[in-house]
Amino acid sequence: MLVLSPTTVSFGGERWEQVTQIAIDREAVREVTAWSDLGPHVVFADVPEQRVKIKVVMDVPSDANSPVPGRMGTLMARLSPSLTHASGVMLSARAVVVGVTHEIGGRKGASRTVELIAVSADGASDPIVFSRV
Amino acid sequence: MGSSYKGIDLFGSGPHRFSVLREGELVVAAYLLGGSGAGGQVVGKLDVQVVVRGRLVGRDDAAAWSVRDALSAQAGSDAGTLIDLRGHRWEGMTLVSVEWADRVDRGRVVSVEYAATFRRLA
Repeated sequence: MLVLSPTTVSFGGERWEQVTQIAIDREAVREVTAWSDLGPHVVFADVPEQRVKIKVVMDVPSDANSPVPGRMGTLMARLSPSLTHASGVMLSARAVVVGVTHEIGGRKGASRTVELIAVSADGASDPIVFSRV
Repeated sequence: MGSSYKGIDLFGSGPHRFSVLREGELVVAAYLLGGSGAGGQVVGKLDVQVVVRGRLVGRDDAAAWSVRDALSAQAGSDAGTLIDLRGHRWEGMTLVSVEWADRVDRGRVVSVEYAATFRRLA
């Protein structure tokens, strides 16, 4: 899932300004596949372990206060109405920062990418929650 | 065609495969039988052993436990006929052990890997 130009974004109660993109990627960490004695094709497949990664890209001015890997907080992003065709939708996820990188020299100046891993409350519920606001 | 043991569909909830273990004569070192020197001595035919490896699957935990308990209940019971997915039959087989994987997998369904060993006891 890709969110462009979210209206407001915060992490751990701290507002992140000038966020341009949020990407949510889901990957299988462990796949289960099985074959039978009847032929060459897979007869069973499931994904019992998966990981949800979030990337937040923002334009940044000179800034010494970047998030630190290992920090945990709730990422909240209000999505623009044009995207959702509704009055507003809030994306929220408990997440842990796993990387912070910067790209410099672009036409718009520097940009920062914060990578996070979303954490489920109990292992069964989806760590990404959408709610109407 | 489905597999079965004693006419019961024990494995059909998920994928499974059959393998036959080593066949032939059991050879024991001669010195263990009171002999001397090197060499071995044939003491008899090996038991026929068939291992079914697969994954039991349920829609939820209760369903997975149901098929799991059905398999466990056959362990150590009287001998019966084991039939594989292609209809091959092994008569007089006893389920001597069931080994479970170290985890139950919970994805789209609840499933657990197993290895069930059947043996034609002399």
